[in-house]
Amino acid sequence: MKIRNSILIFFADLYRVWRRELRLVFRDEGVVIFFFVLCAVYPILYALIYDTEVANDVKVVVVDNDRSQLSREFARALDATPEVKIVQYVANMQEAQQLMAEKECYGVVLLPSGFERDVITGVQGHVSLYCDMGALMRYKQMLMGLTSVQQSVSNGMMKEKLAIFTNDNSAVIESKQVPLGNTAMGLASALLPCVFVLVLQQSMLLGIGMLRGGSRERRLENRGYDPMDVGAGVIATVLGRALCHWVLYLIPTIYVLHFAPVFFSYPQNGQVVDIALMVLPFLFATSFMGQTISVFVNDRESVFITIVFTSVIFVFLTGISWPRYAMSQFWIIVGNAIPSTWACNSYVMMQTGGASLEQLKESHFMLWALAAIYFVFACVVEKYLFRARARRMQHYAKGDPDALLREEYRRNAVDRM
Amino acid sequence: MMIVVPIFSAWFLLDLMKDGVPILAPVGVVDLDDSSTSRAILRNLNGFKEVNIGYGFRNYHEAIQAVQDGKILGFFFIPEGMEERALGGRHPKVSFYINYAYYVPASFEYRGFKTVSVLANAAIARTIMRTLGKSDHEVMATLQPVVTHTHGLNNPWTNYSYYLCPSFIPCMLALLIMLVTAFSIGTELKYGTCRQWIESSAGSIELAVTGKLLPQTVIFTAVGWFIQYMMYRLYWIPLNCNPWHMISAMVLFVLANQGLALFIMSVVPNFRLGSTMCSLIGMISFSICGFSLPNEAMYPWLSTLAYVVPIRYYFLLSIDQALNNLPLYYSRVYYAALLGFTLLPWAMLWRLRRACVNPVYVP
Repeated sequence: MKIRNSILIFFADLYRVWRRELRLVFRDEGVVIFFFVLCAVYPILYALIYDTEVANDVKVVVVDNDRSQLSREFARALDATPEVKIVQYVANMQEAQQLMAEKECYGVVLLPSGFERDVITGVQGHVSLYCDMGALMRYKQMLMGLTSVQQSVSNGMMKEKLAIFTNDNSAVIESKQVPLGNTAMGLASALLPCVFVLVLQQSMLLGIGMLRGGSRERRLENRGYDPMDVGAGVIATVLGRALCHWVLYLIPTIYVLHFAPVFFSYPQNGQVVDIALMVLPFLFATSFMGQTISVFVNDRESVFITIVFTSVIFVFLTGISWPRYAMSQFWIIVGNAIPSTWACNSYVMMQTGGASLEQLKESHFMLWALAAIYFVFACVVEKYLFRARARRMQHYAKGDPDALLREEYRRNAVDRM
Repeated sequence: MMIVVPIFSAWFLLDLMKDGVPILAPVGVVDLDDSSTSRAILRNLNGFKEVNIGYGFRNYHEAIQAVQDGKILGFFFIPEGMEERALGGRHPKVSFYINYAYYVPASFEYRGFKTVSVLANAAIARTIMRTLGKSDHEVMATLQPVVTHTHGLNNPWTNYSYYLCPSFIPCMLALLIMLVTAFSIGTELKYGTCRQWIESSAGSIELAVTGKLLPQTVIFTAVGWFIQYMMYRLYWIPLNCNPWHMISAMVLFVLANQGLALFIMSVVPNFRLGSTMCSLIGMISFSICGFSLPNEAMYPWLSTLAYVVPIRYYFLLSIDQALNNLPLYYSRVYYAALLGFTLLPWAMLWRLRRACVNPVYVP
């Protein structure tokens, strides 16, 4: 009988926490901005920035010291590639250097004198490309453009010379590249799915931090009591909040993970059910993590300073830029502790690679494990830090009702009484 | 917070990418030919530092499964009868499958796979031509009549860290400077102490702002210098110019970011709104400034946004100076722009003053 009662109380508490959290979220416009506006706007903004996917027509100048038919053909062919655009032909390397310093071009192609003669007489002809390394993508594009021209020119000549051995075809063994998943080989299609998942996580962390700051501010003004506190048990409080965040994030999640890729036609090879099952533990883990790390948040505005900068670190920890296999053991372990690492990678593998949940069961398991671990952390933080703090505040306020505000002013170096 | 966060972030990025080039991408092979040629190709492939052959698969299906599982990032496929067809002049085709969901490793994998297939081709062609009595010299000229040499100026190793750290690390610092500036002015507005703040400077907003922000300028500049020291001396990112050019640029950079944040707080003298805008601008800077996708490739209306953030100019300046060691003349615009950001808020301070004297706190 007693057990049944306490179970009933637990669920009643859970429901009260859930309802109260819902009200708190909608009463705080800052949290609404984080939970909904951020999720609505950021994916679109980022996607628009990277929407062009690659840098085509990178500006180069040509120094043609050979001035032969072949060198002119070579340069024209280079200009015709999508990657490179020749903005000028200049007389010598000094002029080219000057143009590069003025940012009129980002690369110089040098065709040395005797280029055509060498090629015709059966000595190799050499072409040099000098690239500005300020942006890696420009370098890559110039390299791709030059390589494709070199290959087509070489193949054309080889065909004539090797025709006897190779049945009028250039290569003995042909090769071809097959891009998997991200078939456009674009930067956006590779980067954005990962960013989408991260937006969900970071906006939730920010919102939870702000809710926590709000609660602390109410306690400061009410002698250590939060009038919005429902007085539920620790587990019911932590779980109830998480359930509330989970429900609130249903629509943003569907929008960000399902519709945003549709808008920008990113790869969508994942099964909806599989993605949903992966998101389920991810949102719980994020909520519990948020409830844990909000211990660092003092007032509502300090969430910016505490949480915003973690976004960059979490992006790198997912390995979307610098691959995880090349990280040191230490950073792999740190990355393992962040829900986004698992969620981003699984989302990418499902949407881009078409993997099924069954194939990603390790990530799925890790997300549940993180949810469990952060749940314990959140409970510990709630019980031994937040509640203890609140009790201390109540204790101080008993003696002197202004003590809390005075202490707060002192800590912010505000001299006002 | 002002000191630990930027230094920790700098250390994080520098340490993460200290190898410079991601080596040994996990890849697999499908060798249906199983001949001496195919085995030679694969041995060759394993010799490349870009890839690490961890798996051999019996068929295409298994390999593609492994890609989906995330075990490998790509695989090299050699069809049945490759050697026989090659020697018979019937053009077998090897293929390499690369998972482009991971952009950077994919580029490196591509390099390894492509080189190996070109080499394999050359090896066989050379064998054929040697039997016809051609010299190595002639063979090479026939196989590759035009050779290209690519010189990545000042970063011939295509070191990823050299390119990413000098842009991302200052960008983190910029984000923090803007947030802290907005925070410290916003606190005055929030606690309603702003009138007192103005009074303490005898009614001069200029003096009040300078007095408040100057100590932060000193701290952030010191932190910025320490970060530069970490980048250029502890992790040896190229610093080809006179170090003073970058040292002075850091001072201007700190001032410029404070200037921008102060400008925002003057235009919208509201704690919440101001700090939201600062964090938005700070976060978007990572993408909009053309660190990865160059600005000229973005939509023009979007790329103009890059011109209103100081980090863009510092980034261009560090390429000009630290990487390329150009004469200062070519970077004059960037120095001027950073200075401009510092001067920008002075025109709008009257708004901040008005807000401070007649405070309205919107909770």
